[in-house]
Amino acid sequence: MRALILFLVFTLTVAAQDLSLPGDLTAGSDLTLKSPGDGTLYLTGPGTAVKRELKSGEDVTIAGEHLRHSGMYFAVVKQGSSVRSHKFFVAPAAAADISFLARPSRVPVSAPDAIRGTAFVFDQYANLVTVPAPVKFELSVQGGGQFSQTVTTRDGVAWVKASSGRTQGAAQFVASTGTASVRRVVQQTAAEPCNLRMRVQAQGKDLVVETDPIRDCSGNPVPDGTIVTFIQSGRNGRSTVDARVKRGVAKATLPSVPGSTLSVASGVVLGNEIRWGGGL
Amino acid sequence: MKQRLLILAAVILVFIGTVVGKAVLYAADPVASVTLNAANAQPRQVEDLTEKAIVREYGAAWQNLSRALKENNASLLDQSFVGAAHQTFRKQIEEQKAAGIATNYVDKGHKLDVLFYSPEGSALQFRDTATLEVQLLENGKVIHTEQLQQQYVGLMTVYGDRWRVRILQPVK
Repeated sequence: MRALILFLVFTLTVAAQDLSLPGDLTAGSDLTLKSPGDGTLYLTGPGTAVKRELKSGEDVTIAGEHLRHSGMYFAVVKQGSSVRSHKFFVAPAAAADISFLARPSRVPVSAPDAIRGTAFVFDQYANLVTVPAPVKFELSVQGGGQFSQTVTTRDGVAWVKASSGRTQGAAQFVASTGTASVRRVVQQTAAEPCNLRMRVQAQGKDLVVETDPIRDCSGNPVPDGTIVTFIQSGRNGRSTVDARVKRGVAKATLPSVPGSTLSVASGVVLGNEIRWGGGL
Repeated sequence: MKQRLLILAAVILVFIGTVVGKAVLYAADPVASVTLNAANAQPRQVEDLTEKAIVREYGAAWQNLSRALKENNASLLDQSFVGAAHQTFRKQIEEQKAAGIATNYVDKGHKLDVLFYSPEGSALQFRDTATLEVQLLENGKVIHTEQLQQQYVGLMTVYGDRWRVRILQPVK
């Protein structure tokens, strides 16, 4: 009986010395502790180190600014030679911010899975929100199609692959969760030329070769400055002239060699061939 | 002549070792063991060289962090941390200084599981199961020691010429 009473007294004494800590907290919340008696409190955690003197019967309040970082915290209470410690976890607050990486910044039209978007979801204190959260990715270009997909984050990250649209222009790539939204611009450019065609006209002793307006297979005009190569093959050998697209067409002057074959190419795309005059 | 060349080469090697070594790692303690499992990396596979670089830089980051928190010297963070992780630990050091305390991490090893490796290869996210002994010091004396197995979610990004820790967040 006596032993039981001693045990109960000991247990109650130890319990009285304990800090009354809540379970998990949310980042940025204040924490109020009941002082277990005179002593010193040391609170450490990610981004935090606080030391407070404890007075018997007084509450201790730790302001939310000391509990902004998510993670495990330790409250160590030193009373004389006795040191006791307690652990508690501070969880991230609600999703409030997105860090959005969109690649590449320029992409040809109609390229499958060419655009990648990665979103990291954070709370208002820059903690990675590790509980699953939906992130909506939207990719659109004016007058063109639209891609939209919602992906749930895993450990704070969501990512998506998308094909570029059929229309060139500045595509708006947006990632959003809750009220947070971030926009990036992906410039969709014309792809390789399609149906490259030229015509030829004699001008004195020369031939003027000129392409039709050059477009990609989706009908987008290829950008000015694109290189087009005109090739002339004949009995005297082969010569080439590189010309840049200007206002949608490429143009060059070649010597008039009867019996020569004229062809045109741009990148990996070959155009039509024209055989000039008589000869062999 | 040959002997002179050998001595010169040895001096150059020692110099390079000292300067380059210091640029990455301040701590003199041996690097704790870091193992990395990249089998579940998505959406891109982690290259062998990247695996080695992550293991090396993450180990160095923990050494620099331990020393920075023990010596309350935020400049030791600069070699390994950027962004949110740098700010968090810098704030912790400022508060430790104000409270007259310090923290010592006795690092007993890390097991990393890669969760995400960005398509362009510039960001790598992982979960670390760290085995640590955390000591709370006041006036250089240990007042409390805690043995821990703590999980972290980390994000390392290429910054400058190497991988650095951008997020290091303890998770449940």
